[in-house]
Amino acid sequence: MKNLGIYAARLTPPVEGFAPGHRACIGCGEALAVRLACKAAGENIIIANATGCMEVVSSQLPASAWRIPWIHTLFENTAAVASGVEAALKAMTRKGKIADRGTKVIAMAGDGGTSDIGLQALSGALERYHDFLYICFDNEAYMNTGIQRSSATPFGASTTTSPAGKKSIGQKTWKKNMPAIAVAHNIPYVATASPSYPFDMMDKVKKGLAVNGPAYVHILSVCPTGWRSTPDLSVRLGRLAVETGVFPLYEVEDGKYKLSMDVSPLRPLKDYMSIQGRFRHLSEGMVKKIEDRVRKDYEQLKERCA
Amino acid sequence: MVKLTIDGRQTEAKEGAMVLDAARALNIYIPTLCAHESVSAYGACRLCTVDITTRSGRNRMVTSCLYPVEEGLAVKTTTEKIAAHRRMLIQLLLARCPESPELKAMAKKLGADDTPFPKEDPAKNHNCILCALCTRACDEVVGQSAISFVNRGVAREMAIPFYNDSDACIACGSCFYICPTNAIQMTDKNGKRRFVMPHNTMEFELAQCAQCGRYHLPKRQIAWMAKKSGQPLEFFARCISCREEVRL
Repeated sequence: MKNLGIYAARLTPPVEGFAPGHRACIGCGEALAVRLACKAAGENIIIANATGCMEVVSSQLPASAWRIPWIHTLFENTAAVASGVEAALKAMTRKGKIADRGTKVIAMAGDGGTSDIGLQALSGALERYHDFLYICFDNEAYMNTGIQRSSATPFGASTTTSPAGKKSIGQKTWKKNMPAIAVAHNIPYVATASPSYPFDMMDKVKKGLAVNGPAYVHILSVCPTGWRSTPDLSVRLGRLAVETGVFPLYEVEDGKYKLSMDVSPLRPLKDYMSIQGRFRHLSEGMVKKIEDRVRKDYEQLKERCA
Repeated sequence: MVKLTIDGRQTEAKEGAMVLDAARALNIYIPTLCAHESVSAYGACRLCTVDITTRSGRNRMVTSCLYPVEEGLAVKTTTEKIAAHRRMLIQLLLARCPESPELKAMAKKLGADDTPFPKEDPAKNHNCILCALCTRACDEVVGQSAISFVNRGVAREMAIPFYNDSDACIACGSCFYICPTNAIQMTDKNGKRRFVMPHNTMEFELAQCAQCGRYHLPKRQIAWMAKKSGQPLEFFARCISCREEVRL
């Protein structure tokens, strides 16, 4: 990854596909990620957006934050709608009903809409090899409905349906490895990204759109409301997630793993967890146990990338 | 506001706006390599050539990135003549940089498979098309003018002063980021940031974070940021992840 500095940011496209004035919480990492993804994708796109935070905050009647063609879909059929749009574009271009302008299709959903409810449709669309980009904005729980656990919630996190208490340490299961599931479909491009590394993220969205066939980009979106962290730490939390090894950034091109940036030696996990209220109840021993698992996973990933 | 038609579509544009911007506002695609919103128009690649007919009936081809809108102007962006003209241009560029994947992709888009012109020696393989995006970005956005063009005519090339280490360069990487053909490479390795440009190579030392020990920014960039922001140099001693105090 290129550690681009001060002035390169002024060279990014000024056009905003995701307009300001939406109703996302202060410090929302997901809104930031969507905005950057729209900048990277340009204006010649159609977005199918699952139910979730981004749909709710951006499209309250009579207003809309979208300056690009956008359709709201249900939780379960985002990938199906996107594949339909892509197939229709292809067919209508072939029949000469519309001019071929190279319009790209993006499906976007939260972690619940991707790894729980929408997984079946996503798997189908990836298998049918539609030429589209699926972006998962992972904020690690159903934040929009009030912080219920999803299969992407990390071990030990306290949510309203996995509350921490005397007999519970919060979420009892480990985070589902969604990028690995996408890789298992043998698609040309899979990547993980974070808006805390904006240039890397925009590159990955561009790459995902450029490949011929389905692409999957998994973006960690910090949620101060659900993670119980202060809003001004969102960008920092995204960075700490990468530097502690919780959310390593990598790409998989045609089955070949490549680390975007090797962050070893990893930061202590405490740096990341101590600034989030959802991990506040965890004892030091527990944090150590999670850290061991994180390090093991990171080593495994590094081996795969070698 | 100025009224004009582009590909038969009526539109209005602000006085002084360029035809390219007016066409882009209508979502009409015009191929470009050297145009960028953040820097001034330059007209190096000529790919944005369009056919115009003025109100007085004068017809000719112009580069749309440099032609301001006029009242009653009729613009055609996709005629046979223009397609042939653009094909020739991209074939000439391709003869200069035959290995560039970006140029190959653009050539394919414009309907040219290969170039009929004698190809430049691939050993030179510099991929620089002299579009001046890097020099414009360095001058207008960064304000340093650390890189520039030297020589004239066929000997023209992008270089740093006297092909020597540039004192003005702050190693920000804007030139690397903006380059449309990836002619400038930037790598951070072993505590050094290295720029490989078509005709020179520069190396800059990276600073280590005082707390976590990671290499984070080039030393020269830190000095520049301290000077610009008025913060003491110690403020930049730690990397951004270590910098502020963590609190809940």
